[in-house]
Amino acid sequence: MNDLRARIAQIVERDRARHEQGGNGGIDRNPLYATVDPPASGRYPVARGPSIDAAVLPAQPRFEVRERRIALDDLGLEIVGRGACDPLLIAHLGLKGASPDRWQDVLFLDTETTGLSGGTGTYIFLIGVAHFAGSELVLRQHMLLDLGAEREFIAGLKSEIEPFRACASYNGKAFDLPIIRTRFVMAIRSELTVDDSHLDLLHPARRLWRDRFGSTTLKQLEESVLDDGRTADIPGWLIPDAYFHYLRKRDPAIIAPVLEHNARDVISLVRITDRVARAVAAARTGRAPDHAPAAYALARIFERTGEMDAAFGCYESAYCDGDNTLRAKLALGFARHLERRGEVERALRMMETLVALGVGSERWREQAESRIRRLAKKRWRKLATAS
Amino acid sequence: MRTAVRFPARVSLEQILDGLARDPEFKQMVTRWERIPPRRASYAEFPAWMDGRISATLRRRGILSLYSHQADALETAHAGKHTVVVTPTASGKTLCYDLPVIDAIAKDPTARALYIFPTKALAQDQLAELERLAKDIDIELKTYTYDGDTPPAVRAAIRSAGHVVITNPDMLHTGILPHHTKWVKLFENLRYVVLDELHTYRGVFGSNVANVLRRLRRICAFYGSHPVFICTSATIANPEELARRHVEDDVVVIDRNGAPRGEKVLAFVNPPVVNQSLGVRKSALFIGRDIAATLLASGIQTIAFTRSRVSTELLLTYLRARFPQPQWPPDLVRGYRGGYLPSERRAIERGLRDGSVRGVVSTNALELGIDIGALQAAVLIGYPGTIASTWQQMGRAGRREELSAAFLVATSLPVDQYIVEHPDYVLQRSPEAGLVNPDNLHLLVQHLKCGAFEIPFDRKERFGTEDTPGVLSYLDEQGILHEADGRYHWSAQSFPAEGMSLRTATSDNVVIVDQTNGRQRVIGEIDRFGAPLTLHEQAIYLHEGRQLQVERLDWENAKAYVREVKVDYYTQAGESVRIRVLDEFARQDSPRFGRAHGEVLVSMIATIYKKLTMYTHENIGWGKIHIPEQELQTTSFWLSLSEGATAGWPKERIEIALAGLGNLLHGLAPLLLMCAPHDLGLAVEVRSPHTERPTIYLFDMTPGGIGFSERLFKSTDVLLERAKEHLASCGCGTGCPSCVGPAYALGNDVREAVADLLSLK
Repeated sequence: MNDLRARIAQIVERDRARHEQGGNGGIDRNPLYATVDPPASGRYPVARGPSIDAAVLPAQPRFEVRERRIALDDLGLEIVGRGACDPLLIAHLGLKGASPDRWQDVLFLDTETTGLSGGTGTYIFLIGVAHFAGSELVLRQHMLLDLGAEREFIAGLKSEIEPFRACASYNGKAFDLPIIRTRFVMAIRSELTVDDSHLDLLHPARRLWRDRFGSTTLKQLEESVLDDGRTADIPGWLIPDAYFHYLRKRDPAIIAPVLEHNARDVISLVRITDRVARAVAAARTGRAPDHAPAAYALARIFERTGEMDAAFGCYESAYCDGDNTLRAKLALGFARHLERRGEVERALRMMETLVALGVGSERWREQAESRIRRLAKKRWRKLATAS
Repeated sequence: MRTAVRFPARVSLEQILDGLARDPEFKQMVTRWERIPPRRASYAEFPAWMDGRISATLRRRGILSLYSHQADALETAHAGKHTVVVTPTASGKTLCYDLPVIDAIAKDPTARALYIFPTKALAQDQLAELERLAKDIDIELKTYTYDGDTPPAVRAAIRSAGHVVITNPDMLHTGILPHHTKWVKLFENLRYVVLDELHTYRGVFGSNVANVLRRLRRICAFYGSHPVFICTSATIANPEELARRHVEDDVVVIDRNGAPRGEKVLAFVNPPVVNQSLGVRKSALFIGRDIAATLLASGIQTIAFTRSRVSTELLLTYLRARFPQPQWPPDLVRGYRGGYLPSERRAIERGLRDGSVRGVVSTNALELGIDIGALQAAVLIGYPGTIASTWQQMGRAGRREELSAAFLVATSLPVDQYIVEHPDYVLQRSPEAGLVNPDNLHLLVQHLKCGAFEIPFDRKERFGTEDTPGVLSYLDEQGILHEADGRYHWSAQSFPAEGMSLRTATSDNVVIVDQTNGRQRVIGEIDRFGAPLTLHEQAIYLHEGRQLQVERLDWENAKAYVREVKVDYYTQAGESVRIRVLDEFARQDSPRFGRAHGEVLVSMIATIYKKLTMYTHENIGWGKIHIPEQELQTTSFWLSLSEGATAGWPKERIEIALAGLGNLLHGLAPLLLMCAPHDLGLAVEVRSPHTERPTIYLFDMTPGGIGFSERLFKSTDVLLERAKEHLASCGCGTGCPSCVGPAYALGNDVREAVADLLSLK
């Protein structure tokens, strides 16, 4: 037996050395766990999950749900969470599938996992979900304290998600939802109920802010859009190791920064959703985003939702503020709008100017010239019928 | 405009063979000219339970009944028994698994099947065939290949809708099993698992695949399915044993071949000796070229097999020079090997089937079941390494009703020389076994980790070894697994299947970076044990016919930086190997030899390298190699000379005899083990600290060993017998690289001394 252990040790050691070469180091080397204080007690009302097998772990709760309520006014929300839910607006937020009727039907969520690579061996150990109730946002954090209790943890999560028509996330399409789906199969052999009605805010946020702020991570948007950056935050890549460390040491101080990080993520998700909604609403009333690429991106979405006036406003704004490259990119679409509104002359002049300036690719110029010929014919016919 | 050239066989194959048989120069080279008589088919009815639409379609295609082995396979698979079908190439193996699968899906559209092929190319081929068949039968059967080339956009559809998913072990290992929750439909309804070309799943690769299959079965059990395995294999000695190790259950062997065969001529060709003193023979490549050119010039559709990519390209160049344009069409002869584009390969396969490609030069890539129709002649340059491969390659020529021919041209390697001098070894199918050792602890621990990632291990669960709980609890202590409620959960961030290759035992490889022309390009990799000898600084490394010099070896980061050079020498490194016996598993002594096998620690250190001129092999310089010593813990077989064997011999003679016998056994052992020569290491000690006698060690180059040493221990008599036969028939006078090693390097009486040891004379 000792011989076996020695041999396995050798194999495992070699393997570990290989992984660490390219990896990001072991847990012992990062000092973060010790330095971050746990949040002030009493801030989280804690509801403990039932202990399933008291004989195995007598005193240890196996999972827990923490809840806190935040007033909408404290979050500075203007549209999201207030009044009815406009389906066209929801479409702007990236929903595929049927739109919910009320903001109360949307569940905002963010997961913390034991790894970033996905697959069946990656566990969700913490999921923060938030929904609207009256004038409050209810944030509930489900925390798995013992991997052996995953079944109950996921079953609890399932009943948490089930009443909602839709869910909202930041990059959930690529990350959170596939992992939730995997855990549903692994733990309870079930399917996810909100799969098709999902608002992934990453894409609308990118459209609005990528060209302006570069990165569009949630953390970056907190700083640049909400003007409310984070201090003492645990970096995402340390989170899995923090959890494994916690499983062995059972010290709440180790996991507290992760809970705080997750709460922060969910709240920011709600606030960013509101900022996207505000940008859309402003554009509808004629105030397109100042930033030309964002205005252009919105214009295309408005076209898709059939809101032609709003689309036109955004095109016009983007054309005015944009550089020539962007102008070339949007000119054909913008010209279509002008044409529809009967402003053939203006469309023609715009296209001719751009061609004269020599912007765009060769292929683009071919398209532009053919459009000019068509518009010129149209103008000629118009003049002929008028005279 | 180019007119299509038609090739009526201007001279029949019969006439060509007749001409060759009479040619005095050729006759001298032939060591055996064997005519295998034709065989009639043995037929059987379609089984009564088979869906009527399937038999109707087969009849429409002109297939009125099954061959007997196909009917047998259908019966056992249908009865839910694991099946292994062992028949030669072109015997209709595909139907043995396609029909039960199509039948199951025709009757129950939720049924699923998983096809596992050793290579991607084979998967493509099967896909086309199965789709054609399903379309003709007019049943809803969605077939997809799922491998590294599958675009992400269609992967989701394949996962939920594919009736038959075609993949390879590597993709199963990293792409499917760790993500099994995305394949719920497949695993819940998995009826059949098809393992084609089972004989290729041996050695390290096979031992890994056996573990991947253990993981597959765990996942099936999780979803409540119990698939039936249908395996096919080329002829090997132990199909049942090999299949059992992969399936870990009872397996029915079906080896009565019912397919017909036309008459066949097999010729074993040994190129003439051109330098008696060095034992150098004329190049097998040249002789092979002459044979292939003769056949091609008469319009005989021919396939030539070489052992490496480089020789494929060389032979192709030689042959094309023989058939210049415009007299001959430009694509008369094509090359086929890994590294060609898939579309190129498809075009060549099509050309071979419809006859527009008349000749093809290939690595063993075409030996596996890719559908290229049946050709008329095959030329094998060099013994392919195993009897199974030899028959597979020879079987590429051979139509049902016609005469066909196959030529095996030997190189000067010991194994080749043995085969060509003892053709019965191939013809009588002496036993040759596919060996795997899935319980090799090194491999097992890796797969156990992958398994824990896929589904947590139960404390009482067994994975291969009795020691599973010990391994699990150790991994728990190390924080790699985490025990909760009697189940061991994966508790690390990493993805264990990633970066773990099934094809080599260690994932520590040295990467070769070509920085010719200022660009950095990775052109290959070599396992860490082999690297000091081939990639030391200043070494000349040959890659696809180019000479590359190693400028810097970054041993820590496992990278060798090379640059193209043009020089007229090559380098050869020497190493010193020390062996420490850790544990002796079994031992048996006889008056001449003591034999044993056990666990050893091998220490290898590369010492110096020599620069030798091309062609003349003159030593023109040397240098030291500075690479740290490497250790390999593995299993070894060892043979020691008893007192009686060398009584009264001077020390030098014992030394020479020991070195010579070591070379001889090392050269011939691959015959017994179905492995490549470099899978086995050799060390000799004039006085071993363990046996206290002159000793030869043949050790497994895979850490932990995969069963070679035990096999050698059990078959020592056979190995010594082969060595004796080979030495007796070797054409050299005093010792050559084809037998005991070159006399000029070892000593002039080396052959005689080894013969004395083996009590020849």
